Order: sequence, then structure tokens, then C-alpha cells
Amino acid sequence: MADEMVLSPDIEFIKGVRAAGGDTVKRCYQCATCGVVCPISPEDKPFPRKEMIMAQLGMKDALLASPDIWYCHNCNDCSKYCPRGARPGDVLGALRQMFIKEYSVPKFMGSIVTNPALTIVALAIPLIIFLVVLGITGHLHIPEGRIVYSHFFPILYVEAIFIPLVGLAGIAYIVSLRRYWNTLKRVNGTEYRMNFGDAFVETILEFLGHGKFTKCEANRDRRTAHLLVFYGFVALFIVTCWLTFYDYVMGKESPIPLSDPMKWLANMGALSLLLGILLVIANRTKAKGINTKSSGFDWTFAIIILLLAITGILTEVIRLAGIRTLAYPMYLVHLMFVFYTIVYFPYSKLAHMGYRALAITHYKMTGKDIK
Amino acid sequence: MEKVLGVYICTGCGIGEALDVEKLKEAADYYKPKVLKTHEFLCSQEGVQIIKDDITGEGVNYIVIAACSMRVNTDVFDFDPLKYVVERVNLREHVVWTQPPNDEKTQWMAEDYIRMGITRAQNAEPPVPKTAELEKTILVVGGGVAGLSAALEASKAGYRAVIVEKGPELGGRVRKMKRILPSEPPFDRPQQVQVDDLIKTVESDPNIKVYTNTTVVSIEGEPGMFDVTVCPSEQVTKKEIDIQEEVKKGGPARFPLPECSSPETFRVGAIVFAIGWRPYDATRLEALGYGRIKNVVTNVELEEMAKEGRIRRPSDGQAVKTAVFVQCAGQRDPEHLPYCSSVCCMTSLKQAQYIRESNPEAGAFIIYKDMRTPGLYENFYKQMQDDPGVFLVKGEIQAIEEAEDGSVTVRFENKLLGGSSVVKADLVVLATGMITNMVPEGKAPKDLTDEFIGVIVTKQTDTGPVDELVPEPIALHLKYRQGPEMPHLRWGFPDSHFICFPYETRRTGIYAAGAVRHPMNATEAMMDGAGAALKAIQCVELTSEGKAVHPRAGDMTFPEFRLESCTQCRRCTVECPFGVLDEDEKGTPQEHPYRCRRCGTCMGACPQRIINFKDYNIEMMSAILRELNVPTEEELFPYIVGFICENDAYPAFDMAGINRFQLPPNFRLIRLRCLGGMNLAWISDALSKGVDGVVLIGCKFGDDYQCHFVKGSQMANERLGKVQETLDRLMLESERVALYQLAINEYDKLPEILNEFMERVKEIGANPYKGF
Repeated sequence: MADEMVLSPDIEFIKGVRAAGGDTVKRCYQCATCGVVCPISPEDKPFPRKEMIMAQLGMKDALLASPDIWYCHNCNDCSKYCPRGARPGDVLGALRQMFIKEYSVPKFMGSIVTNPALTIVALAIPLIIFLVVLGITGHLHIPEGRIVYSHFFPILYVEAIFIPLVGLAGIAYIVSLRRYWNTLKRVNGTEYRMNFGDAFVETILEFLGHGKFTKCEANRDRRTAHLLVFYGFVALFIVTCWLTFYDYVMGKESPIPLSDPMKWLANMGALSLLLGILLVIANRTKAKGINTKSSGFDWTFAIIILLLAITGILTEVIRLAGIRTLAYPMYLVHLMFVFYTIVYFPYSKLAHMGYRALAITHYKMTGKDIK
Repeated sequence: MEKVLGVYICTGCGIGEALDVEKLKEAADYYKPKVLKTHEFLCSQEGVQIIKDDITGEGVNYIVIAACSMRVNTDVFDFDPLKYVVERVNLREHVVWTQPPNDEKTQWMAEDYIRMGITRAQNAEPPVPKTAELEKTILVVGGGVAGLSAALEASKAGYRAVIVEKGPELGGRVRKMKRILPSEPPFDRPQQVQVDDLIKTVESDPNIKVYTNTTVVSIEGEPGMFDVTVCPSEQVTKKEIDIQEEVKKGGPARFPLPECSSPETFRVGAIVFAIGWRPYDATRLEALGYGRIKNVVTNVELEEMAKEGRIRRPSDGQAVKTAVFVQCAGQRDPEHLPYCSSVCCMTSLKQAQYIRESNPEAGAFIIYKDMRTPGLYENFYKQMQDDPGVFLVKGEIQAIEEAEDGSVTVRFENKLLGGSSVVKADLVVLATGMITNMVPEGKAPKDLTDEFIGVIVTKQTDTGPVDELVPEPIALHLKYRQGPEMPHLRWGFPDSHFICFPYETRRTGIYAAGAVRHPMNATEAMMDGAGAALKAIQCVELTSEGKAVHPRAGDMTFPEFRLESCTQCRRCTVECPFGVLDEDEKGTPQEHPYRCRRCGTCMGACPQRIINFKDYNIEMMSAILRELNVPTEEELFPYIVGFICENDAYPAFDMAGINRFQLPPNFRLIRLRCLGGMNLAWISDALSKGVDGVVLIGCKFGDDYQCHFVKGSQMANERLGKVQETLDRLMLESERVALYQLAINEYDKLPEILNEFMERVKEIGANPYKGF
């Protein structure tokens, strides 16, 4: 932390935190219960009390450089025990949402995607692109014969749209993460006890088991849900990569037959994602005696993922059922959600992945990581 | 009046099982009572009827009831104190509940108490009350909200009131405020000041007479007959003198009272003292920028700015975008105000709201030591904390400097996050504290002399230079021997226990209300005014019936002075905690009976033993001591007499009994109205009788005293410093006498205290006067 903090009344920032779900931020009276009950808070300079104070004081710059708000796994133990109902868990969630936007490149993309009110716009963008491409190329009709999606929307077109955009998004994401990492190092840079590579690998390995989630008390069920979603995405990512190989290198035409193990993986991934996201939604709706509110940002993303999984499965089921009039539109809708998920990922809730990975890596490098 | 003695021994509550009642009767019979009866349930209707029948049938007028504590069944054993002397011998709590049953030593103790009780009764007489038709008007000094409320409440209760306000208008400081702190449930938002309505109500009340621009120049007399002289403020002349010089020149060690060219005198019955407060002098806070930086103001100044609707930077009239409130500006600092003023945190929250209202983009930082919002004001705190533009930071100010553009850089240690923080403010508001107007202008509370606010002068006497405190006249200008104003406990606040005995002061008939008493807000001050008015009403009513006020409310005795034997030693006039006694030029005490609280401190102080009450006197205790059958060393050693305060120590012994603590059998307790009444004569009486030790148990003294009479136990302790002179004559060790301070709830310490003292006396050995 810098020797001297300059405080100025950043009321807009505080209003932003409140609007993003941290409406209770000003309530904190610094009793430090949150830092004590947090299962993953370090002994030295614990969180989230410190972050609550900074947020109350509108110290946006200091918070932007915080590894703690990303290290937080949103267990909500803090919110459960907070005697003042200040809901530190939700405040940190609000800060993460704000900072995804803050670090986003280009900024306007962050502004659109992090704003639940603009979700329609975000979804309309891919739909319009698809319809324009299909219209220009004369594909805007339901093809006859066996249902093969590439007959409707040739793979080449799909990839011509997706690959550059995902590439750009990837670059934008890396730029954002770099900015975060540089800030992190500049402000919190101390002597590192571990090099980046080792720490990062350790972090990724830890992700595979979701170890930190097991430490939660108030919100233990989240681990299963998060794991299912996580592995669902991993499986679908592998299959998507395989498909490119399948189409171009092996020269075969999708769909992959049901007998192919890759199809098994794809279906399992889809089911895992569906089950996981249903659990996420169930967790968020059921009363667990925890004082927490899900923000619009969180809900938007959960519903998008739910629709992604449902439309994906329906696309396959309807294709197998042979209902052409439904299958092709469903495919188009599914592609729209796929677009949202993979092109917008640096700006959606998915972006937390990279920031959290960096925060944990930084923790490991400074030796503060909880065992 | 012929004394007809009746002794009634109750055998209920285990007394009959633990003691040999026949032998108790024998002990009592020695005094030839007209009636001597036992009953197994004396406090029953039947038991009390026996006593009543004897009163009518046998003419019994001295009633000794050997049963339970005098603090219980007071409604049952209730006989007209003007006709009958009633003495309660505590056989239950003080004997059978703390001693082993059917033990020889227990029996001795009980018999001793019977003898002591009868002797106590025989040396008493029913009091002759001094009743008079007295003035019942209430004078209210100070026309702020406390004073207005006091006058209004007095009027509502049917009493006339007179308000004397020094300044040109009523309403005091509250009138200058934009809003007052939350005053009604749920106490979460400041309220509009309604003081103009209050003033109108008071001014239109036919029972209330209002003097504005008027100063009290003297008050003399006593409750029911205070003669108050007032003077138009501009006609008051105060002679400024250098008291040190005057005394050096041989002048009197006394400040002159103010004089008046056109005085007006009227009589009142009691006084509500509500002269209010003023802010701590911010010019002493230069370190915080006051006077040095234009844009540093006090909270009082900001309140005025807000009231006038001009919250702007004083330096250039620009809008305020960032304000910093510095809490504890002087408070809780031994260099300035050593205490917490209790309202400034909430005042700053209130004023932060003004800042926010003046500019929705403005932010208000409050830098505090601790945020103190007592009681339901927590709701107000929550409300303000929730405002996105109010920033509460725990911190210590490190530097406040002016920047080139006129803004103020406030640097402070951020106690929440560590390190230094800096805020660039347009306006810095110092939350200065409240000091009572008892503090003379130009003085700071920390600089005041002890007990009386005044100046210490060095007087030349035959035995060399002596330092003497000369009390200063401030507001009341009392013509009292002990000085023109009330004593203070600390920091100028008039002395009386502010928690246990609110509104009381050490001047009978004068009740303090509002922020003169301790720092408080407007709502509290108004409640205070009502409370003090009721106290004043109690005072005039009780006084006119010849009864004492708090804490011996209803007592109809008075100290009587046998002045022909007075040696003008002035101990009584000096020691009286309530300044009751004045003096003539020679030093002979002049009585003011209605000022008296009947504690008997004067009786204890008098070396000539000329001050006595009808039912409480020097001879009474001496006679009790004479009646003791001091046992031989073999029978019971050590044999100890205890003088105990009846307000705290006596009930502590009761509670020890209720809890069945076993206490040593060696003590014989004599209750005193207050330990301040303890006369050294009794100590020599006891020791020359062969008693091995004398223990005094009284209330705690010092800053957190618990004495009902403020200084009684402390006076006893000071007297004890001179006990060696008395004991030298007897060639006895002063270690045989000790004083213990005991709070009422510390009854569990009694076994320890008594045993410790016993061990101490054992070490000294038996009193050689035994058996003489």
C-alpha cells in the first residue's frame, strides 16, 4: 500500500458499487467479523474488511489493484456473520463486476455486456450478423433433406465470423489481464517467493479440484455446481477444438456420429453444463439463511448459460427427431448464445476466470496463499 | 415528655431458634421497660396491634423493636416520628443470619445489641419540626431551552416561576441552530428547531415572569426564602481586582460581588440553575488550523452558516465540494478538554447533512477517534452512514495546512487502513466540545482549582505563608460562607452525583439543569429542565413542612448548636458539604436550617461536641459505648466497635446476612447517618472502655465518590488523620482505628475486611484499658 493515500469524495464510484449489487456498502462499521470468519482470508492484511473500508471511502484506484477481491470465492461466510447486514460478499461481487468493465478493452464492450439492461443489444449483435451473412449468401431458408446444419449455415461462414472475433476478444482479454497484472505488481509488488510460471501452474492445478470452495461454510453447495459448469465448459471446449480438426484435417462432415467417443464427451459436457447451471440457479434462489442478493449481472449470466445449454441440447435432439422447421432456427438461436459466451467472455462473468487465476497466482508468489 | 419504654422482641425468622430469648429479655429488663414482650411474628397485623395497644393502654412512647433490619418493614413499624421514638434492633440480618445458632458468642452479640438499642432510644427525643409559610416561586437562572422547559413545567405543576436571562433574548444557543439532533423515535433524523414556539408559550404564561438582559447580582437566604437581587445587565459593575495584591496588602481574601445601580430584590423558594454552555475556545486549537487558516471553522460557526444558508468557503465564497469534520477537536485531550462532550459526533453527522444538502456532489469526511452515538442515536448514525457522500474515517490528525488555492490539506493517520491519508478540503470543521458556563471566561476546564473555582492566594499568617483558595463569583453570587458559587467535581460541572442524583447540587434548593451540569443536547436539556423543576418543587414543599430534602427526604430533625460553648474553630462551617453554615466576624456559626441535609458532618467535626440532633447526638453514642459489656481477653478477643454508614455499609451487612455469610462474632456495629458524623470523641470513649479496635466503614470517596452527602466519608477520613493526637493521650496505637470504603454492592468483601482488621488488632494485642 502506498505510504500516503489521497482521498477524494468519489460519490459516483460509491453509487456505482451500490447499483451493481453492493447497496449495503456504506453500512460496514469495521468490526472485522468478516475477515475473521472468511475461510480463505490471509492472516496478514485480511479481507474483506479492508475492501469494505476502501469501497466506503470511494478508493477506486486502490481497489483496482486489489488481489483480494478476486481471490474471494464468494462463499458468503462474511455476509452470513456480518452483524450489520453489510453483505461484504455481495459488495466484492459488485466490485468484480465493475472492474471487469473497468479493465475491459474496448471499454464500450464492457459497458454493454456488464449492463443487464443492454443484454438484448448484446444478443442482437450476433443475430443481426448471422442474418446478414445468411441473407447475403442466400442461405436464409430452411434446406431440404437430411438435417445437416452446415447446409443451412456453412461451417466456413461460422468460422469466418467466430475465429476473428474470438481472436480479437482473446487479445482484448490478454490486454485487460496484463493491465490488471501490472497494476497488481506495481501496487502490491513485494519480494516474490515463487516465480510466475510455477505459481500459475499450481493455480491451474488447484482449479481442477476447486480446492478453495471446500473451505466455504455458508455456501458449500456451490462447489458441485461450479465444478459441473467448469468441467462442462472444459469438455465442450475440447470438442469444439476437435471439431475443427475433424472437419479440416480428417475431412469429415459434422455432425459426429453418436457412436464416436467425442460425441459422448460432447453430450456429457452439455449435460454437465445444464445440471451445473441449474444447480447454480437453485442455489441462488433457495433461502439458506445467508444475507445475500444476486445482482442483475449475475442473473443475466446464469440465464444465458442455462439457455446456451438448453438450446444446445435441443439443437441436437430436434435434429435427431428430424423436425427441420424447428431444428434450423434452434441452431441459429444456439449460435447466438455461443457467440455471447465465447466472444463476450472478457466482458461477461466468465472473465473472472483470468482475474482470479492471476490473483491466486499473485497470492502464491507472495506466499500469502492459504493452504 | 415522660419516657415510657416498650421493648418488643420478635422470635420469628429464626431468631427464636438461634437465641435464648429469655436471656435477651433479662438483658432488656435491666432498663426497667414498662412493657417487655416477645412475639413470634411481630410484623403481622396481630404483632403490630400489640404495640399499638401498648401505646394507647400503657402510654408507651419509646418503642424498641428487636427484630429485623431497619430497612425492611418500614411501612409496618410506622409510628408518628413526632410523637414516638422508634429504635429497630437488627437481630435478624446482623446477628442470627451471620452467626452460628445457639452459640454463646452469638447470644452475647444479641444481648449487646439489645442494650445498645435501648440506650440509643433512651438518648433520643422526637424532633420539633420547623415549619413556616414559605415562598414557593421557582427562580430559573438562564433562559435557554433547559430554563424555558423548567419554568414551563413548574408552571404546569401550579407554581410561579421567574426566568432571569442575562442576554437580550430567550432560547439560548438552540435558537441559533438550524436543526437539533433527533428528538423523537426512531431518533434517526435531525428535527426543526421549535424553540420560538416554546418561547411564545413561556412568554404568554401568566405564571411565568421573564427578565431578559438581567443579571443575578446576589442570592442570600435558604430554601423557601432565597432573596434574589437582579440588575439590568448593562448596569452591573464588577470591580476588577488583583486578588493576590489585595491579600498581600492585607485585604480580605474574597472577591467583591458585582454591584448594581438599580437593583431589584424578590424572594423565591428554590432555584433552577441552567446557565448553559459555551464552545471550547477554538483559538487554543491553532494546531488544527483555527485562526491560522481561513477555511477552518468550528461546528458552532458552521451551524450559523447553515442557518443563514451560506455554506461556502469563508476565504472566497466558493461552493464547498469537500468538507472535513475533525472530531474531538480538543476533547479527550488532557491539554484541552479532558472529557468527551458526548454530542459532537452527532452534531457532525447532522452538519454533514447540511453539507450534502448544500451540494449533492459534495462529500463530507468525518475523522473521528471513536464514533460515539449513545443509545438510540445509533439509528441516526446508521442513517447518515448510509449516505454515499458521508465518509467516516477513524484517524488522528497529523497536520492541517493551507494550500495555495485556499483549500486545506488535512493529513491524518488512517487508523482503519494504516498509513497516512490526505484530504484536500474546501472547508474544515472543528468539532469543538462543550464547556459549562460555570467555567469563568478566559479559563479552561483543565486549569480550574479543586472543589471551588477560584484563585489560590498566599496569605501571611503568624505561622508563615499559607495558600488559600479564594472562590470566584460567576453566576449565582451566593452570599454563602463557603463561596459565591457551587462547588464543582471536575471541569466546572457542579458537583453532585450526575448518575445517581441528577439535578442535585451541593447547595440545597439549587438544582442544576442542562449543559451546565454535563454536556448534553437540546432534547436532553429540556428533559433536564423538567427534572430540575420537579426537584425544586419537592424542595419548597418539603421545606415548608420542615422536612429535609434528598437524601434524608422527610427527616424532621435539625442540628442544634449550643453556641455558648463554641470556640469559633470554624470546622463545622468549613466541613459542611452543603455550605449550610455562615459565620459572623468572629467565626461563630450562623444557622440556615433549611439548607441543612441532616448528615451530621458538623456534629462529627465539632471538637466541643456542641452540635447535636434530638435523635442523633454525641451523648447518644457515648452512652451506647458505656453500655457495652466489654468481655475479657479470654472470653472474646479482639472486641471491636464498628461505626458504619447507614446508607451503604448497613445494607451491605444486611445483604451479607441475606446471603448467610458467616461473619466474625467480635464486632458491634453502630450506625451513623453518614460517616461524616463520626466524632473523634467516640473513638476515645470506645478505646478507654477497653474496646480493642474501632473500624469505620463508609462510602467510597474521591472523584467517583458514592457518599450520599458527597464528602462525609472523606471528612471522616481526614479527621482520622488527627486521631493520633487523641490516642496519644491514652498512650494507645492509632492502628487500632481504621477506615474502610465499601460500596453497597460489595457485601461479599465484608468477611475479608472484618477478618483483616481483626488480624491487625490481634497483632497489636489487647487493649490495656480492659477491665478498668
